[in-house]
Amino acid sequence: MTNINVVLNKFYDEYVNNTPKKLKIIDAYLFYILLTGIIQFVYCCLVGSFPFNSFLSGFISTVSCFILGVCLRLQANPQNKSQFYGISPERGFADFILAHIILHIVVMNFIG
Amino acid sequence: MKLTGLALIFATCVISAAAQDTLVLLDNLAIRETHSIFFKSLQERGYKLTYKLADDASLVLSKYGEYLYKNLIIFAPSVEEFGGDLSVEKITEFIDDGGNVLVGGSSVSGDALRELASECGFEMDEEGASVIDHLNYDVSDTGDHTTIVASPSNLIKSKIIIGSDVTAPLLYRGTGLLADRENSLVLQVLTADSTAYSYVPENSIKEYPHAVGRGTLLIAALQARNNARVVFSGSLYFFSDEAFTSGVQNAQGGKSYKQSGNQKVVESLSKWVFGEVGRIRVASVDHHKEGETTPPQSYTITDPVVYTISIEELDHGVWKAFQADDVQLEFVRIDPFVRTTLKKVANGKYVAKFKIPDVYGVYQFKVDYDRVGYTHLYSTTQVSVRPLTHTQYERFIPSAYPYYVSSFSMMLGVFLFSFVFLHYKEEPLKSKGDDKKTQ
Repeated sequence: MTNINVVLNKFYDEYVNNTPKKLKIIDAYLFYILLTGIIQFVYCCLVGSFPFNSFLSGFISTVSCFILGVCLRLQANPQNKSQFYGISPERGFADFILAHIILHIVVMNFIG
Repeated sequence: MKLTGLALIFATCVISAAAQDTLVLLDNLAIRETHSIFFKSLQERGYKLTYKLADDASLVLSKYGEYLYKNLIIFAPSVEEFGGDLSVEKITEFIDDGGNVLVGGSSVSGDALRELASECGFEMDEEGASVIDHLNYDVSDTGDHTTIVASPSNLIKSKIIIGSDVTAPLLYRGTGLLADRENSLVLQVLTADSTAYSYVPENSIKEYPHAVGRGTLLIAALQARNNARVVFSGSLYFFSDEAFTSGVQNAQGGKSYKQSGNQKVVESLSKWVFGEVGRIRVASVDHHKEGETTPPQSYTITDPVVYTISIEELDHGVWKAFQADDVQLEFVRIDPFVRTTLKKVANGKYVAKFKIPDVYGVYQFKVDYDRVGYTHLYSTTQVSVRPLTHTQYERFIPSAYPYYVSSFSMMLGVFLFSFVFLHYKEEPLKSKGDDKKTQ
């Protein structure tokens, strides 16, 4: 038990101290998305799936936002620079925005 | 004026004659006298009877593709081969074209009747065989116990076919019939008692009789798919004046009746077989959305729909409103999606109101009314049911607001996040190349 506590503490400290602020911002954003998704899912379980298309589009929009956020985080992370050689962070962000535009057009069409 | 009047009279004559012409085939002309009550009652009801010997060489049923007769009575049990143009094939064809046939056989029935019977789904017992019942025979019986007393409770339970209030037993002398029980078109109008069997009376019984107990049919009927009717009696005696007028008493003790029930039964049966009763038809079918009056091009799913069918029954030559409370409507797309009992309103109109199912496709309103004694009523009306158009869907459903809010918050989130992400400048706080950094 203490072991786990030690691990968790260490993990937290490392995160607070060594993660760039930019990634922390992304993490906060991802956490917000995650929360929204969970709330929707719980709501759907409670109320039932009646406007199913609305539920689908709402839920899928959170899931996709989360995925896109994670992708952005991967590209923005300086540690992964070697993997995204030749793709600048600005380019990564532009891709992120473009994907979001497409996503939200689809979601708006489907939400009913 | 005079001419038109004449033409009118002529036309009515032709119509009534064409409608009621009946050919009667006899073994010998004596049958005309011995069955006079039956023939007389037919004539009184407007039938024009043409008597012919069954082996008359001038027999014709149709001329230039038109039938000369509407009904055919064959009271010629012993005929082996029909004369003239007539044959079993011709008679079958006649039935296929909607003609009605009444046949009286006897224990000495010839091949022609046997063949005709098997064409109609019955089987006559072997030559010489009679229905014997040692427990239910009439006092007038000569000793063979072949003049049997059939209880009216053995009649088919259908007022249309046998009429109501037949209480006196029926006299029967003749051969037994067999019918395939699986054949749904064959009706067992009169069956023998469970103590009866069919065998040659003079012979001692060596083989198992063909027809035993209640499986022995005395009178069988067939209503073909085209609503042509055939009645087959194993006994010509059943229709005779003698059977009509004589009293009946079970020799094994029983109530004595002054008059047998034959006449009543035969009268109703002849009305049925020649299509005087039990004929129903669809007069009109109407369907529309509730609140409208005309049928739409196509229905939309979950539309409330009103279906009206008006059914008529032939009553003494006039089509009148049909009364029943068991007419059902099916709304069918391969399988029935809706099956409902139609509600009777005035004038033989039947109405059903229901909601079209939430499935689109091509449907049929189907009324399939098949009851014993009545002609088969079958009506289908095809309609198409389409899904909602894009503009017909519900918008802004209250229970979906959380989803709307969440998807808009996702958009807003991206918007705000972009600003924060782009405008944030990393302060050079730590060395970036630290390899212990978590992600």
